[in-house]
Amino acid sequence: MDWGEIFGPGALVVLLSSSVAFAMPTALAAVGETVVERAGILNLGVEGMLLSGALASFLVAYYAKSVALGALAGIAIGVGLGALMAFLSVTLGTEQIINGIAIVLLAQGITAFTFEELFGGEEQPTIGGIADVDIPLLHEIPGVGPVLFEQNVLFYISVALAIAVALLLTRTRFGLSVRAVGESPAAADAAAVSVARTRWLALLIGGGMAGMGGAVLVLGQLNLFETNVSAGRGWIAVALVIFGRWNPLLVLGGAFVFGFTDALQIRVQAVSGGIASTVPTEIFAALPYVVTLIVMVAATVWAGRDAQPGALGAPFRKGVSA
Amino acid sequence: MRGITWKTVALLLAVAALAVTIAACGDDDDDDGGGGDAGEQADAGADKVKTAIVLPCPTSDTWCKQGFDAAKKLEAAGAIDLEVTTNAPQDTAGVTRVLAQYAQGGTELLLAHSTYQDAVFDVAEQFPDVNIASFAFELKDNVAILEEPIYEGAYLAGMLAGGITESNTIGGSAGQDVPLCHAELEAFEAGAKRTNKQVKMIDAYIGDWNDAAKGKQATEAQIDQDADVVIACGGGPATGMAQAIKEADISGFGYVGNMDSQAPKNIVGSVIYNLDPYFEAAVEDVRNGSFRPAKRYEFGLADGGVDLQLNEGYSVKEIPADVMDQMEEVRAQIESGEFKVPYVDGT
Repeated sequence: MDWGEIFGPGALVVLLSSSVAFAMPTALAAVGETVVERAGILNLGVEGMLLSGALASFLVAYYAKSVALGALAGIAIGVGLGALMAFLSVTLGTEQIINGIAIVLLAQGITAFTFEELFGGEEQPTIGGIADVDIPLLHEIPGVGPVLFEQNVLFYISVALAIAVALLLTRTRFGLSVRAVGESPAAADAAAVSVARTRWLALLIGGGMAGMGGAVLVLGQLNLFETNVSAGRGWIAVALVIFGRWNPLLVLGGAFVFGFTDALQIRVQAVSGGIASTVPTEIFAALPYVVTLIVMVAATVWAGRDAQPGALGAPFRKGVSA
Repeated sequence: MRGITWKTVALLLAVAALAVTIAACGDDDDDDGGGGDAGEQADAGADKVKTAIVLPCPTSDTWCKQGFDAAKKLEAAGAIDLEVTTNAPQDTAGVTRVLAQYAQGGTELLLAHSTYQDAVFDVAEQFPDVNIASFAFELKDNVAILEEPIYEGAYLAGMLAGGITESNTIGGSAGQDVPLCHAELEAFEAGAKRTNKQVKMIDAYIGDWNDAAKGKQATEAQIDQDADVVIACGGGPATGMAQAIKEADISGFGYVGNMDSQAPKNIVGSVIYNLDPYFEAAVEDVRNGSFRPAKRYEFGLADGGVDLQLNEGYSVKEIPADVMDQMEEVRAQIESGEFKVPYVDGT
C-alpha cells in the first residue's frame, strides 16, 4: 500500500480540509457543552439539540429559501431546548442525567414525526448548497490556506464562534462566574454570583452551539435532512468534553483530532484495497476512538491533575449546604 | 392558582413530551386513502388479507418508500387491509413491542421491513398464528425471507460505469460489510471489468447506515483518489453519495429507489429494488393458505424485483453507444436465464 496516497502533501491537504469541515458540528456542540459542564450541569441532551437544530435549519432554509435564516432557526431551537434543560435542571433542580436523555428521546421523536408528516412518501427534499469562499491572501498560504481558508461562510462563522466561546469561558468575568459556579456553587453564591442565572446562561449558550452544529451539518454539508441525521455526534461531543479535560481549546482540538482520524480511516480503507483488504474494516472504524483516547489520556497524564468541575451534576439549592 | 406548583407544570410537560414521542413512534394508518373505496364494495372485505407493515424509517427514505409504496399498491387494489408503522424502533426490544401489538391484533401478514431478525423470531414464536415476511437470515415455519438480489442490477450499472469512467477508477461505499452490500459492490466491479479491463475499484465501509455526512465524506475521499463513477449501499451512504457527486459533478448510481431528484444531472441510473412481486406473492400465499412452511421469496431482474432505471436527465458524460448496447444485451441474457451474475457475498 502506498502511504504517499494518504500522507503525501497533496493528499494531506485534501484530507485535512475535508476533516475540519466534517468535524465542525461536533466541535461546536463540544465547545458549548464545555461551558455547560464548567457551570456544573451535565447536559446529556446535546444529541437532541443538535438533531433539532438540524431539522429546524433545514425546514426554514427549505421554505424560506434562506441559509442565513436557517442557521438562525437552528441556533434558536438549540437555545429553546437549552432553556428547557435549564428549567428542569436549574429551576426545578431535578436529575440532570434523566433530563438530558429525555431531551434526546423527545427530539428524536418529534423530528422524525415532523419530517414524516411534511415529506412522507415524497422524494427526498433538498436545499441549495452554499459556495466555498476563498479568503483573499490567506488562502494562498501553502498548506494552511487551502485547509482553513477555502471553506464556506458557515465554516468561518463556526470557527469564530467556537473560539469566541472558548475565550468567553477563560478570559471574561462571566467565564469566571461560570467556573466558580461549577466548582463550588455555595462559595460563588456567597460571593453574590447568582448560581441559577449563570447556569441558565451557560445552558442557553450550550444549546445554541449544539443547534448551530446541527445547522452546519445540514446547511453546510448535506443540504438535506434525514431521520437521526446527527448520527451520534452529540454523544461524541459529550465524550470529547471529558477527553479534553473541560478545557475549551483542548476540546476544540480534540474534536478536530477525532474528525481527522475519522476521515483518515476511510482514506486508509480505500488505499488498502477496501473490499479485498486483509484488515477487517471494523479495525479502521475503531481508529478515531482509539487515537482520540490515546491523545487525551496522554494529555491527562502529562497535566497530572483531575480536571472535572467539582459540582458537576449536582443541583444547587440556595441556603441548603451540600 | 396556588395549588399549581412548578412540579405540577413539570409533570404536565413530561406527559406532553411522552404523548408526542408515542405519536411519533406509531403513525398508524387506518385504512384511509386508497383502500377506502375498495372497502365499500360489498363483501369485498371478506378475503382481504389483514396486513401490517413496520418500517424503520420515514416514508421519504428510499428504502422505506419502496416497501410503503408496494404495500399501498396492494391496498389500493383491494387485496389487503393495511396498517402502517413508520419510524419503528431499531432495537430488538422496541420493535418486538410493535410487532407483537400487530400479531396480537389479529394481523395475518406482518411485513417487517428491516433486518429485525431476533424480534421477528420472538414474535413468530409467541404468536404462532401470524405470518411474517422479513429480511431474516433463517427460515421458520411462519417466517419467510425476502431476498434482495440487488447485485444483479449493480452488475448492469457496473457495465455502464466501465464505459463512462475516464480515470478508470470507480468507487463504492457501504454502511457495513454485510452480504447484501458486499455482493452489490462485487457485482458493480465485475460489471465494470466486463466493459473496461483497466478499471480499478476502491471501496469504503463507513460503519454506519444512517450517517449521510459520513457517506458523503467517504465518496469525497474516493473522488480525491480519482474515482469518477460511484455507487453506494445503505440509506445514509447513498444520500451522502448523491450530494458528493452533485458537488464534484461526477457520475453515480442510485440505490434501492429512484434517486434522480437528489442529483438530477449526475445520477446515471438507479438500481431499483421493487417489492411489488414480493408482497404480492406473500399476500397470495397467505390468502391460499400456502404461506407455510414459509419460503424464500426471490425476484430478480427476470421477475421485476430488481431493475436498472436509467435517468433521462443524466448529462455528465455521453454513455458510449456500444457499452449501452452491451449492457442491454446482458440485461436480456439475465432475464432469459442465459447469464447468471456471479454472487460474491464475502462469507
